[in-house]
Amino acid sequence: MTEKLILSSTPHVHTSRTVRGAMLHVILALLPAVFCSLYFFGLPALWVLCVSIAACVFTEWFITRYMLRRPLSICDFSALLTGLLLALNLPANLPLWMVAVGGVVAVGIGKMAFGGLGCNIFNPALVGRVFLLISFPVAMTCWPLPEAGFGDADGATGATVLSLVKLGQLNPSLLPESDMMWGAMGGSMGEVSAFALLAGFVYLLVVKVIKWQIPVTVVAGLAIVDLLAGYPVLYDIFAGGLLLGAIFMATDYVTSPMTRRGMIVYGLFIGIITATIRRWGAYPEGMSFAILIMNGFTPLINRYMKPRRFSPNKRKEVAA
Amino acid sequence: MRGSFKIGGIHPAPNKTASRTIEILPLPMRASLPLSQHIGAPSKAIVSKGDKVKRGQLIAENSSFVSAGLHAPISGTVAGVEDIKMPWGKTSKAIIIAASEDEHRADSEERERYWRDLIPHICDRTLSERLTADEIRSKILQAGIVGLGGATFPSHVKLAIKPEQKPELLIINACECEPYLMCDDALMCTYPGRIAEGVELMMKAGGIPRAVIAMEDNKPEAAAAISEALQSSENISLRILKTKYPQGGEKQLVEAVTGRRIASGDLPLSVGVVVNNVATAFAVWQAVSTSQALIERVITVTGDISGGERKNYMVAIGTPLSSLPLTLPGEALAIVGGPMMGRSAVCLDAPVMKGTSGLTVLERPQRRQALACVRCGACVDACPMGLEPYLLSTYGRLRMWDEARENDVLDCLECGACSYSCPSNRPILDYIKVAKQRAKL
Repeated sequence: MTEKLILSSTPHVHTSRTVRGAMLHVILALLPAVFCSLYFFGLPALWVLCVSIAACVFTEWFITRYMLRRPLSICDFSALLTGLLLALNLPANLPLWMVAVGGVVAVGIGKMAFGGLGCNIFNPALVGRVFLLISFPVAMTCWPLPEAGFGDADGATGATVLSLVKLGQLNPSLLPESDMMWGAMGGSMGEVSAFALLAGFVYLLVVKVIKWQIPVTVVAGLAIVDLLAGYPVLYDIFAGGLLLGAIFMATDYVTSPMTRRGMIVYGLFIGIITATIRRWGAYPEGMSFAILIMNGFTPLINRYMKPRRFSPNKRKEVAA
Repeated sequence: MRGSFKIGGIHPAPNKTASRTIEILPLPMRASLPLSQHIGAPSKAIVSKGDKVKRGQLIAENSSFVSAGLHAPISGTVAGVEDIKMPWGKTSKAIIIAASEDEHRADSEERERYWRDLIPHICDRTLSERLTADEIRSKILQAGIVGLGGATFPSHVKLAIKPEQKPELLIINACECEPYLMCDDALMCTYPGRIAEGVELMMKAGGIPRAVIAMEDNKPEAAAAISEALQSSENISLRILKTKYPQGGEKQLVEAVTGRRIASGDLPLSVGVVVNNVATAFAVWQAVSTSQALIERVITVTGDISGGERKNYMVAIGTPLSSLPLTLPGEALAIVGGPMMGRSAVCLDAPVMKGTSGLTVLERPQRRQALACVRCGACVDACPMGLEPYLLSTYGRLRMWDEARENDVLDCLECGACSYSCPSNRPILDYIKVAKQRAKL
């Protein structure tokens, strides 16, 4: 026979889903939030976005090319997504060199130092953000006030709703909820519009890139603490980075648990820790810390939260 | 709502594009019959080089209880009992039979009469009442019937059930959940009444009071044909299940039909169920009603090769795969069986065997280069046994056999749902197979 037979092990057919496809879906799901941040914060937001993405992609390219000498991995879009998420977690008026530093730390230390995509313990974008928050606390908490219409921000800055409430300067129950839903409040670029984020959530559920367990339980965990502490729940959900974190950061494949049961535990604790930091901690916002803390617990959760096995009882020990 | 197994499962593209008719493929001039075509001890050859054999004659007998006999699929002269190359590269002892022109012509005429005149017109629905269970079982044993779904477990052993084992239900597996394959579908569309009679014979042989023919909802023609054939049967019913791979896995099927779960390492009989393939039921009917041994079966010749060649054939066991009617493109993947669990062939000199349900030709492997695991959990979601494929695969790669065993690697049924669903194209199942083998030691 003259034909050549190709050999391969089972299975011989394969899903068309790819890692790159999943990353692209998440990037698409973030577009409404990106659009909102451009709408409210104008040109400075665009610069932050560009610098953050460029810094992340460049860092990954540089490290894979010159330090690890591995095949380039930037085509999987994970660095692009990290840059996008990092930018959405920053104030729009942050000096651009700080944005660049954040990008380098996020990918360089948050991801590549652990061995690249799939090996990192902590969410890279949050590593970058928290690095900036601790290093440049003033710049990172000086939020431009949103101004509709893509205009150049007039330079007015202020505190976020969360910090005003924390300082006792604002009564949360007096806040108009509709403003918070649409995004007319100070904050980092991506967290201002709840509607935009929820649209992304629905999209990700429809294309089955994420499961509902983590975002829903994060909100549930926060709501439980709020109810017990007597805080207005809706305000707490829509304020700050809770939705951005719950939908786009906590659901990061690499750093979240593998099983649905594990995801529920993980999400609940993120919500509880966030609410605890917001109420009683030193910082007005606790989402980043909560996710990073639970990232650290993910291996432990994977170890104990096993999937439901098919077989009801253990295999009988075969006599040796 | 249509039933299904509860945990995991995937939906690969069905690609069931072969026609639903069965074409009778001419007998080969030369047939080779490996002595090990079933689970259990290999058959023992009772002919030697130079012997004349008749079509249907026993040429190798059971060597122990869990074993099966072999019959000559063609008349001719035994050219030898020698090692032949199997599709996966290893060699196996086989009986080679070569026919002369005259023998070939006589066999072909007899076979044509059998399928044209005898099969459609035999009518004796009282067989299952007249014969005793022992008589039916001994006919099954004499016909060398094994499970035709692919597991090839000798049927007379499976149906040797003691009353104290309390068999309650016979499930006829007609799911055919493998993509591409359609041999069971075609058989049900063509001989629904014979299958129903075969099921009755099996129930009698095993002392099983009820039977369910279970198939996925992607075979409406077969479902209609079977349900019409079952109109007069009180104890056999048809159950339509959701199309989901691996619905035809034994444990998955028992759960889908009865809601009962079989424990690790146990057989379906532990929950009162016996599972047999639908093609086996037809073979049982043939053996009992027409006294023809298992010397031919239906196989699907299919794949993503260009149209016109995707068909089901009634093929004599022992026919070389290379003589099946298909033209291979210059370079291709030839899979013996379906694309999920079938093995890709090293060479096509080997014959169609009792457990061969099809030959699937794919132009190129769909698997791409493996990337890093992103821990997305798709494999965990897909696993029908509720295992953690990513973890077992890592244990396999790191040679941590004990840890793999503690994490139930031996429950894996090697369905391939994990590797299929991996967005990073990781060879998850490959490592799990290694871990499984080592964990058994």
